[in-house]
Amino acid sequence: MSLINPSLTHLNARGEAHMVDVADKPESRREASASGLIHMRPATLALLAEGGLPKGDVLATARIAGIQAAKRTHELIPLCHALALSKVAVDFDLDEPNACVHVTATCRLNGRTGVEMEALTAVSVACLTLYDMCKAVDKDMEIGAIHLEAKTGGKSGDYRREVPAATAASVIEAATAPIVTGEGAAGEVSVGSRCDIAAPCIRVKCLAELRERLGVGDVSVPIGDLPSADVAGLKAALKAQDPSFEGLDQGRVLCAVNQVMAGDATPLTDNDEVAFFPPVTGG
Amino acid sequence: MIRVQQETFDVGAEQRAILDGRSDVGAVVSFTGLVRDFNERPEVQALTLEHYPGMTEAALGAIVQKAEGRWPLQGVTVIHRIGRLTPADPIVLVVVASAHRRAAFEACDFIMDYLKTRAPFWKKEHTASGDYWVSERDGDHHDASRWECS
Repeated sequence: MSLINPSLTHLNARGEAHMVDVADKPESRREASASGLIHMRPATLALLAEGGLPKGDVLATARIAGIQAAKRTHELIPLCHALALSKVAVDFDLDEPNACVHVTATCRLNGRTGVEMEALTAVSVACLTLYDMCKAVDKDMEIGAIHLEAKTGGKSGDYRREVPAATAASVIEAATAPIVTGEGAAGEVSVGSRCDIAAPCIRVKCLAELRERLGVGDVSVPIGDLPSADVAGLKAALKAQDPSFEGLDQGRVLCAVNQVMAGDATPLTDNDEVAFFPPVTGG
Repeated sequence: MIRVQQETFDVGAEQRAILDGRSDVGAVVSFTGLVRDFNERPEVQALTLEHYPGMTEAALGAIVQKAEGRWPLQGVTVIHRIGRLTPADPIVLVVVASAHRRAAFEACDFIMDYLKTRAPFWKKEHTASGDYWVSERDGDHHDASRWECS
């Protein structure tokens, strides 16, 4: 029996490291995104946000560092191929409540090998650059939670990281949990999800700013919970379920039933899709 | 033709497509909306456009249909991009073809006014001082209301 795990493609039959020959693999569109974060003191984050750090524009520098790093991954990681990346995007999200900066990177190419190492390298080096740019004022910063978010294309198929259940209430979980910022980046939310409970129910979506404010994207409500079978009844049931839905009454919140604009009096039946969202701002 | 897409678009190609094989079009008007590097806050580095798949296409279709009911149009193309865009990127394209210029100008203006107040798109802007969701503008509603009293 061979001791070599056949899934470790960088090992040959003798267990020696080797570079995978990709010449005969078909080209396909490959994309990978990775994320990580760097914790810092709130004061450091405030300085970063204001542009008050001695080394200047921290985020712009870290972004370029991440992009450069993605392009040079093959020089750092021994068995990586040199890739002609068609896109590298590095983004930052300043998270004041958790005193950290979230870093995400997306790499893409049409080619024969995946780009997850490039995305992970971009995140790592962007985090290191953030550290370098801020270390004059804060030496306690900590880099962590660097991981692959998703990859598409290639023989091994698509991968999307499962969001861990919110049991481990660490700062990191809280930061990654805001359900949709990740999906929002792609400009879409999921649609047409079936009810996840057996009883007749209404499928509720909160979109855009409302989703982030309420902290929920999709939720199903059993139709029996509605005091009246209309949108007003649904709102009442949601508020009874979770007080954060009081937010449905704060500011201007619009509503669509089965993707048609609706109001509080619009009737609802089993399996209707109800979306709540803020005023539109496209164009 | 209505498209919601992440990819960019080519204004020239879209205009040629709407005119292809026709000789009855006397006027074609196109509007392109771009990402600005300043808005509610300065130094906009990027924005993320979210939409409501399904309803977006239906809402744009309804707006185009309304325009076609008001003006004699020979072709309409609406393309709206989604996802992450950076300053100077094109966001939205409206191309309107008609026999005469007035109808083409007005219909293009109308479609943009309605798109901005009725199509389910939302912008989140990423700036040097953090991210925020763009709020609605009274001016857009005023612009759209111009078409109601005529």
